[in-house]
Amino acid sequence: MIIQEYCMYCGACAGVCVADAIDVQELKIVVDDEKCTKCGLCVKACPVAALSLE
Amino acid sequence: MDYTTDILVVGAGPSGSLAAREAAKNGADVILIDLKSEIGSPKRCAEGVSKQGLIDLGIQPDKRWIARKSNGVRLVSPDQTSVWLSEDTIELPESGFVLERKVFDKHMAMDAARAGAKIMIKTRATSLERVDDGIVVTANKMGEEIKIHAHIVIAADGPGSRIGRWAGLDCNTKFNNMESCVQYEMAGLEMENNNVIQLYFGTVAPGGYTWIFPKGEDIANVGIGVLKTHTDKTAIELLDEFIKNCPETQHAQPVEINVGGDPVGGLIEERYGDNILVVGDAAGFVNPLTGGGINTALESGVYAGIVAAQAITDGDYSKKNLKEYYNLTKENIGKNYDKYKKAKEYLLSLNDDELNDIAHEFVKVDIDEISPKTLVKLLIKVSPKALLKLGKLF
Repeated sequence: MIIQEYCMYCGACAGVCVADAIDVQELKIVVDDEKCTKCGLCVKACPVAALSLE
Repeated sequence: MDYTTDILVVGAGPSGSLAAREAAKNGADVILIDLKSEIGSPKRCAEGVSKQGLIDLGIQPDKRWIARKSNGVRLVSPDQTSVWLSEDTIELPESGFVLERKVFDKHMAMDAARAGAKIMIKTRATSLERVDDGIVVTANKMGEEIKIHAHIVIAADGPGSRIGRWAGLDCNTKFNNMESCVQYEMAGLEMENNNVIQLYFGTVAPGGYTWIFPKGEDIANVGIGVLKTHTDKTAIELLDEFIKNCPETQHAQPVEINVGGDPVGGLIEERYGDNILVVGDAAGFVNPLTGGGINTALESGVYAGIVAAQAITDGDYSKKNLKEYYNLTKENIGKNYDKYKKAKEYLLSLNDDELNDIAHEFVKVDIDEISPKTLVKLLIKVSPKALLKLGKLF
């Protein structure tokens, strides 16, 4: 998962993640690659396109 | 360091702080943790709230957190036809005040502290484990690993509650129910009426709407919520387009950007379990039609705080003994949401032409005569499918 530096840590991605793979901290996002199924819902949910799978 | 408490509340937004306040007021030991360094910041909200809703929950309006009062709403159709509704003639949900959420949220947390809750800021839950008589949450508090043992955990950790999920509840937000939202707080707007909240419908915001919520003479939250099942564009692309084209915003400048996901699918069924209650956005306490959730988040927090404190008194933290929370929220909030959800489905079924036709019909009516009943009558006249979709709901 690539997270752009303009990410504002709102957690819209984590909210829709069916695998509970995204940990949103105050100024950091940590993705658990073992849990992530690469379904891409988080990428679509992001209001500012700060996430991408590749 | 290890802590023991009756009730642990995770998340100090409005619902978490109210839950902590009520639980402490009713005699329970309460710890309230929040991952951020400043409660209430950054806001993830358009800040509209119902005045009466606050008063009903024992929150006295305070000018320190009210940015502006609003006295009506302007609905704008795709061809720019405006329908003006006044608060005097129709009860509008989530309207009356536009808040300064950063100040409001802190005040709610302060009230929780005054009631006796212990607050830990910059404290982030990292895992959850069930034990015999409760739940142990491990957290990072300013770099230190702590464990908090609680009989009951109240999850107020936002959409898709991880705390709820870790406790075994199904509370992630379904993708088709998550509004993807972005907003600028802007100055230099040229508003035709800066005392009403404005909603723009149609292809400007597929699956949602664009809003202008005034916070000052020339200041407003200008934002958008869209369903990503209805568009391939991002929320920010659509909002930037709107701002460029709307005469009221095209010369305004942003001083803040806010982002977030808004769960509009209605109440999450699994919002309680053994030793756990889920409140606010985490349990879907958001009006499915408007996306507004401050009032109901606060209300859910109050019910959770009261029910949890009673369970502590009973010495019984079982799902069965916490069910009262489910019942109270279903009766007082969920039933209304079911209606709003139907209205939302109807709204989503309308294309731009149909929205325009409805707006044209509405502007013919004397604004002072508009009541919920006449609204629905009018709707059915111009859009027969309203009868089918809305029936006798309103």
